[in-house]
Amino acid sequence: MSPDTLAFLLKLLTAAVLLATPLLLAALGELVVEKSGVLNLGVEGMMLIGALFGYIAAYNMQSITCLEELIPGFCQKEERIFTFADYLVALLAAAAAGAMLAAVFGFLTQGLRANHVAVGLGLSILGAGLSNSLGSNFLGVNYTSVQVADHPQILGQDLLVWLSLIAVPAIWYVLQRTRTGLVIRAVGENHDSAYALGYNVPKIRFYCILFGGAMAGLAGAFIVLVHVDWKEGVTVGKGWLALALILFGTWKPLRVLCGAYIFGLLWASELRFDNLFPDWQLEWKTLLTTAPYVFTILVLVIISRSPGTIRQSAPASLGKLFNPPS
Amino acid sequence: MFTLEPRPDITLWTSLRSSAIALAITACISLLVLLVMSDRPADAIWQMLTFPWQGRRIEVQFGLVFQQTAYLSVIAIGLAVGFKANVWNIGAEGQFALGSIAAYAGYLALGSPDGLWALPFILLAGVIGGCLWALIPAALRITCNTNELLTSLMMVYIGSHILTYLCIGPWKGDPKAGQAETYPMADSIRPEAFISGTELHSGLLILFAAFTLLAIILLFTLLGYRLRVAQHTPRAERFAGFSPDNTVWLSFLISGAMAGLAGAVYLTAETGKLIQAENYLENFGFAAIVIAFLGRLHPIGILLAAFMISYVNVGASYIQASLGVDDSVADLIEVTALFAFLSTAMLDQYRIKLTSSPAVKKQATS
Repeated sequence: MSPDTLAFLLKLLTAAVLLATPLLLAALGELVVEKSGVLNLGVEGMMLIGALFGYIAAYNMQSITCLEELIPGFCQKEERIFTFADYLVALLAAAAAGAMLAAVFGFLTQGLRANHVAVGLGLSILGAGLSNSLGSNFLGVNYTSVQVADHPQILGQDLLVWLSLIAVPAIWYVLQRTRTGLVIRAVGENHDSAYALGYNVPKIRFYCILFGGAMAGLAGAFIVLVHVDWKEGVTVGKGWLALALILFGTWKPLRVLCGAYIFGLLWASELRFDNLFPDWQLEWKTLLTTAPYVFTILVLVIISRSPGTIRQSAPASLGKLFNPPS
Repeated sequence: MFTLEPRPDITLWTSLRSSAIALAITACISLLVLLVMSDRPADAIWQMLTFPWQGRRIEVQFGLVFQQTAYLSVIAIGLAVGFKANVWNIGAEGQFALGSIAAYAGYLALGSPDGLWALPFILLAGVIGGCLWALIPAALRITCNTNELLTSLMMVYIGSHILTYLCIGPWKGDPKAGQAETYPMADSIRPEAFISGTELHSGLLILFAAFTLLAIILLFTLLGYRLRVAQHTPRAERFAGFSPDNTVWLSFLISGAMAGLAGAVYLTAETGKLIQAENYLENFGFAAIVIAFLGRLHPIGILLAAFMISYVNVGASYIQASLGVDDSVADLIEVTALFAFLSTAMLDQYRIKLTSSPAVKKQATS
């Protein structure tokens, strides 16, 4: 292999990691939520809100010192310092914002027994609208001044990349090998039996929803802190792809990991097409950006064709309304 | 502590009462939001409520409200058909975009006419475009058992990229324009405003006519009854000889047609040309989902909800201009309203019963 292709492959992999990590984080959070029998369609909204709050926190945490000020009040050259502690605070803010939105979902669906699908859809749509209007101050006029300095890295990758990779076996272990996981699965498989055994179904589900929200918030924060700057709809549907990933992975963390990286690689190679075909026109590249969505539809078609696979692995109480016998 | 007790009968009275409670909650929280977000809350609340009678001409302000109401309600009633039958088409935004594209294609296919006779054909093309785009997720659902919610949403992203592609590619118009756009349509076929300077144009009448037609079909015909049956008991639906597959087809067909029509009217009346997706699409398709739920999937409720949300939106941009209150208040109020309406929906089905808290705790732990 020539060094050129090697460098190209390396670039591809780096891009794939950047694209796969938010998908993986959001999908793992939602996996736990769905294992407990709740279908939260608000992932996209929670990601956007998490992204916005993570970005605002990071912007406020970084310390800016002016190195060169020729005209008073106008800084020509500045230094931005963004320490690891600042970064952690930003992540915490993002996770908290995601969890807050998830708490609203949890309260409505578990406390007030509202329709899961309707509330989840509302969460996604309104999370998008709210993050656009609240984040509009971070756009446009003073765009350059709202950059966040480079994030700290561990072993050449971002902290969250490692966190998401560790989360895969961790979540598998907790779900399959611990008592907590057993309770979560029991609630998701048959809420009536779990209730009869004395478990507080709404409460357990509420905690799972909070966890899912925090993970979605982290996923959003990763996008804006590591990958691209904040803009309207910065998640470009990654929250919905995460939902599709869970179907793809049939509710198994390891398969979700594989799925996330396959998606990431495909998406990255689509972005790298510029280098392969420099003479392609802009209009064709626009069409090419639909590739991840077309691919998602194809994947959904393939896995849904055999009706057994999904029905067997889906938690039996997924999305069903829980009415405790009184 | 309280417990919820299932209520055997759901009547008009219970659902009106829960709507009233939701409205009251929304009003209270909206007042709080305005109190926090504005320096002069009393002025902000007053102007938000009475903005049509402030400043500019009243018909201009109401024109803006009715314009939004028309688009939102027409898309929302189409979506409500599916939502009632548990068919989740959330891709109205994409069907709206494809409706516009098909309408423009129809305009080009007719040889860029400049007479009003072409308008019905252009609108028809838009309806067909929206339908065809909606039928893709429906076909996948029926043949491959795919989750229609996810596929219809993916089709939104694909549709909006196609719109941008057409604007920078094959149908590229004036290169000097600040954005990618097509050449504008002839002015003579674009619906005119009734009152000059307002947004009240005959296109809105077409939308309201479509809304009324569908509302009558849903409320008073066998077809509407069929869809109601599908909502309550899928089993009974089969016994009565209605096929669930047909319900899926029909829901997507109707919602696609309505969104496509809205897209075609939007193209002819508002912009007159296609523009790249981020400047063309105004999220009507997504906002309509919220409207459908706010209106409890009932035609009259949808109309009221669309009017209320449009009023809030226009009012918010009014107080942004006059008092400098950020117009994100509109989004916050919308959030509040949706969650208030969704959470009080359970009052239709359950009776709240107060119990002393120790007893509940004992029950839960034992």
